[in-house]
Amino acid sequence: MLQRTLNTKEQEIFESLKAVIDPELMVNIVDLGLVYDVRLDFENKKINISMTLTSPGCPLGEVIMEDVKQVTKSINADFEVEVNLIWEPAWTLDSISEKGKNILGRN
Amino acid sequence: MQSIASQNAPGPSVIIPHFLVGGLVLLVFTVLLFLSAESLTQHFFNPKILALTHLLVLGWITMIIFGALYQLIPVIMETKLFSELLAKISFILLTVGTLLLTLSFWNFWLGTYLIFSGCIITLSVLLFSINVLFTTRSSKIKSIEKKFIFTSTIWLGFTVLMGLILAINLSFPFLSTPHIELLKLHAHAGIVGWIIQLIIGVGSKILPMFLVAHGMNKKKLVFSYYTINSGLFVGIFSIYFSWHFILILASGVVVLGLLAFLSYLYEAYRIRVKKKLDPGMKQSFVSFFILLFPILLVLLFSFDPDLISSLSIPLSIVYGSTLMIGFITSLIMGQTYKTLPFIIWLKVYRGHVGKIKIPLPKELYNENIAIAQRWVFNSGFIIVTGGILLVQKDVIKTGCLFLILATLFYNFNLFKIIFHKPKTYAATNA
Repeated sequence: MLQRTLNTKEQEIFESLKAVIDPELMVNIVDLGLVYDVRLDFENKKINISMTLTSPGCPLGEVIMEDVKQVTKSINADFEVEVNLIWEPAWTLDSISEKGKNILGRN
Repeated sequence: MQSIASQNAPGPSVIIPHFLVGGLVLLVFTVLLFLSAESLTQHFFNPKILALTHLLVLGWITMIIFGALYQLIPVIMETKLFSELLAKISFILLTVGTLLLTLSFWNFWLGTYLIFSGCIITLSVLLFSINVLFTTRSSKIKSIEKKFIFTSTIWLGFTVLMGLILAINLSFPFLSTPHIELLKLHAHAGIVGWIIQLIIGVGSKILPMFLVAHGMNKKKLVFSYYTINSGLFVGIFSIYFSWHFILILASGVVVLGLLAFLSYLYEAYRIRVKKKLDPGMKQSFVSFFILLFPILLVLLFSFDPDLISSLSIPLSIVYGSTLMIGFITSLIMGQTYKTLPFIIWLKVYRGHVGKIKIPLPKELYNENIAIAQRWVFNSGFIIVTGGILLVQKDVIKTGCLFLILATLFYNFNLFKIIFHKPKTYAATNA
């Protein structure tokens, strides 16, 4: 779940991350609430994405993070992309969007 | 940035051979069970049942557990495996030792063959234990799951040493306690202390993870850990010294621990994020339901031990088969679909994400075959159990045919996953 309000370009990158699907839950990482922050640094041509996983033991964590990097890079070729894995605040069920909950059959 | 589970995982060449050999051994086991169905209508202390039990427990159950643990220990303990080389040597020794031990029991070759094969297995377990204990030592995390795994390894060592002593005692008798009683001791240390305790340690971590269940009450696991181990410890002495009343109490304490774990799992099931269960998880939950039957039987045997040696010889066979086929085998088959596709998927597609079109882990196997396997296996298990209770050889044979078919389905998917090639997906490269 986002920890701050994003600017227009950052919001665009955030929306593009809907292309990254958690292969276990079959829900995109944005609707799962795994993406905490997207920071765009025009000056240094850097994009910094902070995200978490549903569990520290998630066997697909590395792959999901690589996918985030590739998707972001594909629409921002000139930028260096960095993905940070963070565990605070811990991911909870409340982080899932209404759409995500519908896909998971929780509504 | 913190490290993530897959970065600590060992190379696939450590894990995959365990699954390959395990799957084939299971197939051989079901065929041999069909050929020796009559032995299931007799007392459990007969060469065929001894051979089949050791083939199943060592060649299938322990084989897959070793392989899966090498992948899962780094996830649970958040550290790398101590030694991949030790794991590979242990695998070879376990394979050779199991085949020799099975042949020795099948032909009732006592003495040198039996003791030699027992020594090979003991060595394999020793290497495995060194690997687990040193990995545990290098892990900084403190968790109840880690305690379960560590303690189960100690029980495994005890079980194997006890087995070696039994092999010597069977060839050159030197112990005053009846061999049958010692066999019960060996079997319960192995099934409860090693296998079930390990299932609890690993399952309590990965099953909530697969279900995406958060905020679990770990007090149930702590209760389960202390009750199972104290109950088993006292129970082992009670069997050895024939303290009947204390054995009843000890059995009751172990059962309480098992029920606490089942209650933990039910909680995970109830609060899970992922509502729809895939075939692997469905089969896993059916197997936990089946565990309730041997729990009932153990209570029955504890209150009336004469049952086991009089009218209840079929019940004692059902007790063992329900635990090892109905519960453990079914659970391993189910969990194979949850672990192996991820291992292969990471091996094949790591580094290709976002560059080529890649399948989902569950697309590495045929889901319809997995569903058919579950139904055929459950039917076979029910028929075999009915055949044992009714002492009907032909009914057991019919059930075994179902089990063979289920195992063929399992091996089909196992091979399909292991030998998955990415070329069909690479062709659709975006």
